[in-house]
Amino acid sequence: METLRTETRETKSPALSTNETYWKRLAKDLIRNKYIYIMLLPVVIYYLVFHYGPMYGVQIAFKNYNTTEGIWASPWIGFNHFVEFFNSFYFWRLIKNTFLINFYELIFAFPAPIILALLLNEIRKMWFKRVVQTISYLPHFISIVVVVGMLVDFTTIDGLINAILVSFGFEPISFFQQADWFRTVYIGSGIWQGIGWGSIIYLAAMANINPALYEAAKIDGAGRFKQVLHITIPGIAPIIIILLILQMGSMLSVGFEKIILMYNPMTYETADVISTYVYRKGILEASFSFSAAVGLFNAVINFTLLILANRISRRVSETSLW
Amino acid sequence: MKLVYGKGNSTMKMKQRLGEKTFDFVNTLFMLTLILVTLYPFLYVLFASVSDPGLLAKNRGILFAPVGFSLRAYELVLNNAMIIIGYANTLFYVIVGTAINIFLTSLGAYALSRRNVMLKKPIMMMLVFTMFFSGGLVPTYLLINDLGMMDTRWALIIPSAMSVWNLIIMRTSFQGIPESLEEAAKLDGANDFTILFRIILPLSLPVLAVMVLFYGVGHWNSYFNAMIYLRDRDLFPLQLILREILITNSTDNFITGVAGGDRYPIGETVKYATIIVATLPILFLYPFLQKYFVKGFMIGSIKE
Amino acid sequence: MWKRATKRSAIVMSILLLLIVSVLIGCRSSEEVDKQPGESNDESLTSLSYFTINNRPDSLKNYNEMAAYKKLEEITGVKVDFKHPASAESTQQFNLMMAAGDLPDVIEWGWSGVAGGPEKYIKEKKIVKLNDYIDKHAPNLKKVLDENPEWKKMIMTDDGSIYSFPFLRQDEVNMTFFGPVLRKDWLEKLGLEMPETIDDWHTVLTAFKEKDPNGNGKADEIPLLINKDNFTFNAFVGAWGITNGFYQVDGKVEYGPIQPQYKEYLTLMNDWYEEGLIDHEYIATDSKLQDAKVTNNQLGAFIGYTGSSIMRYMQLMADKNSDFSLTGATYPVHKEGEVPPFNQAEKAYNGIGAAITTSNENIEETVKWLDYKYGEEGHMLFNFGIEGESYELVEDYPTYTEKIIKNPEGVSMSDALAKYVPAGWSGPFVQAKAYAEQYTSMPEQQESIKNWKKGSNERAMPIVTPTQEDSTEYASIMNDVGTYKSEMINKFITGEEPLSKFDEFAETIKAMGIDRALEIQQAALERYNKR
Repeated sequence: METLRTETRETKSPALSTNETYWKRLAKDLIRNKYIYIMLLPVVIYYLVFHYGPMYGVQIAFKNYNTTEGIWASPWIGFNHFVEFFNSFYFWRLIKNTFLINFYELIFAFPAPIILALLLNEIRKMWFKRVVQTISYLPHFISIVVVVGMLVDFTTIDGLINAILVSFGFEPISFFQQADWFRTVYIGSGIWQGIGWGSIIYLAAMANINPALYEAAKIDGAGRFKQVLHITIPGIAPIIIILLILQMGSMLSVGFEKIILMYNPMTYETADVISTYVYRKGILEASFSFSAAVGLFNAVINFTLLILANRISRRVSETSLW
Repeated sequence: MKLVYGKGNSTMKMKQRLGEKTFDFVNTLFMLTLILVTLYPFLYVLFASVSDPGLLAKNRGILFAPVGFSLRAYELVLNNAMIIIGYANTLFYVIVGTAINIFLTSLGAYALSRRNVMLKKPIMMMLVFTMFFSGGLVPTYLLINDLGMMDTRWALIIPSAMSVWNLIIMRTSFQGIPESLEEAAKLDGANDFTILFRIILPLSLPVLAVMVLFYGVGHWNSYFNAMIYLRDRDLFPLQLILREILITNSTDNFITGVAGGDRYPIGETVKYATIIVATLPILFLYPFLQKYFVKGFMIGSIKE
Repeated sequence: MWKRATKRSAIVMSILLLLIVSVLIGCRSSEEVDKQPGESNDESLTSLSYFTINNRPDSLKNYNEMAAYKKLEEITGVKVDFKHPASAESTQQFNLMMAAGDLPDVIEWGWSGVAGGPEKYIKEKKIVKLNDYIDKHAPNLKKVLDENPEWKKMIMTDDGSIYSFPFLRQDEVNMTFFGPVLRKDWLEKLGLEMPETIDDWHTVLTAFKEKDPNGNGKADEIPLLINKDNFTFNAFVGAWGITNGFYQVDGKVEYGPIQPQYKEYLTLMNDWYEEGLIDHEYIATDSKLQDAKVTNNQLGAFIGYTGSSIMRYMQLMADKNSDFSLTGATYPVHKEGEVPPFNQAEKAYNGIGAAITTSNENIEETVKWLDYKYGEEGHMLFNFGIEGESYELVEDYPTYTEKIIKNPEGVSMSDALAKYVPAGWSGPFVQAKAYAEQYTSMPEQQESIKNWKKGSNERAMPIVTPTQEDSTEYASIMNDVGTYKSEMINKFITGEEPLSKFDEFAETIKAMGIDRALEIQQAALERYNKR
């Protein structure tokens, strides 16, 4: 992430002193670096076709696309699809659900790996620390299908989780049928799967903190708690802020891969988010233009949020993506 | 890091030490809970998968050991044509997909790590922009359809041929290699391909391992593209088959010929056995891979 | 040494470039090849790709395992590559397939349920209009349709297009097969009458719950299971004279879920759910779990079929529990002696048929191949299977053998028959009367059919299709309504949403444009009546 920033600044001025025109210099450069450009060719083609191609195709959001006429020839209809979406029953619900899932993720799932990393950092027996780390990374490598599959199985009425609840004297709950439980299950399982893996980045940051700082603090009589507060946390703050910006920038986007596996009509009320709606409308019901409009709306909002978050952060903490 | 305790004997220090002891104890307890919460689901699935289907159906709930013992479910799973086809397909997607990923990513990473390439900046910006903005699901879907890749193996490989994120990680690593090595090769008349494949890559094995891991695990675990682009069951990757079994609950294909009332209990153990069969390779490779990914994460994200 | 490596890299690179370029070109050329429907070549047909739901995945991995299809391959030399979608998401897969355009040669599907109707796909050049082909190349089907003009009316769209090789039912005996089923032995044990009214049902279900009819001393009975999908079915809601979807009152189309009576129906279901009369797991119960509940002597009543439920369960349970007996009840009513407003007596054609797609390169030969099943030999093959194996002719009456009726390995007739013919469910052929007579020969089945048939059914909608112009709009409205409805109904039943919210629910459906959908349906009904 740090590198993104350095990147765009580093290459600002390659030999501008010459008086040759840009195109002449470019031609020379193309010849001089011909192998480099040959290497870049497939990369550029790939991005043009598979990433910029869809951006070209996004114009169907303003058209009445049909498969026989194709993207270009379908008739323009302006903002109709957007208006239809804004006026639809699902609009506010989708916005609310998407926002809330992100909001809860920010509150619960975002700090979890930070806390784990801080706690792991305090373990003094190295072998124990290593064992905990190794085990906690494991769920990250289990596919989302298997994770949700296990969830589905564990949360049935006579499944594992309800058996535990019942043994503590609670009533069994059918988690997957109740809209109220969806977010809890979604975020909880997300933490289970991601906490260990997420902590790696913070642990790495902690390892880079200058040990002299701790020594100095100890001489000043600071206990472990104070050391964490005044050295460790400030040490990992830049990385927390960068990740926070990214998280803020995606406040209105939730990956559909997991939700599609988890939700059903009973839980749509809380589980249906913009991306899953686009999937259902666009892919399953083949309303291509309409869902492309919804998707575009979402992408624009996200992009704007990211830029805003980045700007705010740059002003407040002098850390930013670019 | 070593913690050196203060030499003074003041009561404050004592209190501090007591507080630290309590903290260490609670912390250890927390870590043990974490281990339990992480591992128990897998143990449960393992126990359930080798349990006797009929007995398991009657005694579900917390398991500390298998209920009865039966390998019937594994027999059904391992003899199931779809699981075998799924496995073979997934291997294909993982191997071919990762090979293409690594090839393209190293080309891009190398080219964009060179100095004095005029178009480097615009190209980099063009790639980075795709991280933050995309045409979206539906236009991508239509593109794949228009390219005639629908219902072909390529639909799972080409559209995800590289990721900018991994390219940046790799480029960062390449930039850390001393230039003197390349200078020498250049004097010998080596061109950029030679430098990349003969000098840079052999020196970048750790980052290559990380890339293989990231891309490979990605291919192994992905199901969504397969779900929307494939219809021919002979092309299905394992995850899609798993999805049918675990999420949409259709174990029918496994229990063809099992009598009516027994279909449900056997179907349940089949699910557990499938989870084990499908996660085993990752669990098995995991200890060998573990040392690489921490390293990779550091190369990628923290460069100070 | 340097050079060799360079060369190698260059080769790999150019292969990659070639690949990308060829993919790009490939897409263009595939557009150019886009052929005109109607054109066909003279080559003989050797293989077909055929999309259809596998109705019996518990007995057949693939339709090629079915004796009738094996034999058909021998006779015609056509190898069929069956593409069976995963059962739980067949509709999704169908929609995806139709949207993407890369189609199999033949699609066997329930076309009446398709949003926008089959005419939409003819217009979009996805499936082929078959009228001329049938006239020229399908003498058998043509004969069948000429002899039964009312069938012809049913299988056509308003524009007069024939879009499929239809599944047709020869006789009334074939058309009733589905309804509420109860444990007859439990009724007898508890001294209860067969329920007729909603109140009777309440009494019976309560007794099932409280009086331990399975006699194991545990209150583990589940009085009633209505599978999630079957809540769209008319058994209980029908008592109010409405349905879960469209119905007609004196030629005027209405939509059930927004009627005030629908609230009363949901209130009843919610009460039953709260009282524990309806299975609390009904949402998660699939056919496997239902099998387990029936064969564990737990389930008192459910919604089922003559063959694959009543007969199959009775045969499965014959050894375990000799008392076990099931029977079908009439569709419930409110007052004693009332005629049920709805029953289950389907029309000869229910919308299922095999359509030929525009991707098919040999339409003529495919038409001939499909037409075989409507001829004498094909009819016998797909209803009765192999002579001497699965049936014998006894005085010209095709009679199923012992192997089918009383399988020595204890396989139920429904399962045994599935290995030979698709007559037990559907397909592009005429389902024989003789099949239905033998398939429903048990007295319990006969009784069920008699009960299920009772009713006027005059409010039922025929299979109508919106016009091409309206089809997209109709599909878009009904997709929204459908999602919302299925989401809410279950919430009302399980009490997660209070019934006081019903008016809000009806309003929301109206806001989604149900009035426009009603208009479209009304016009479609009027066109149908004029056919």
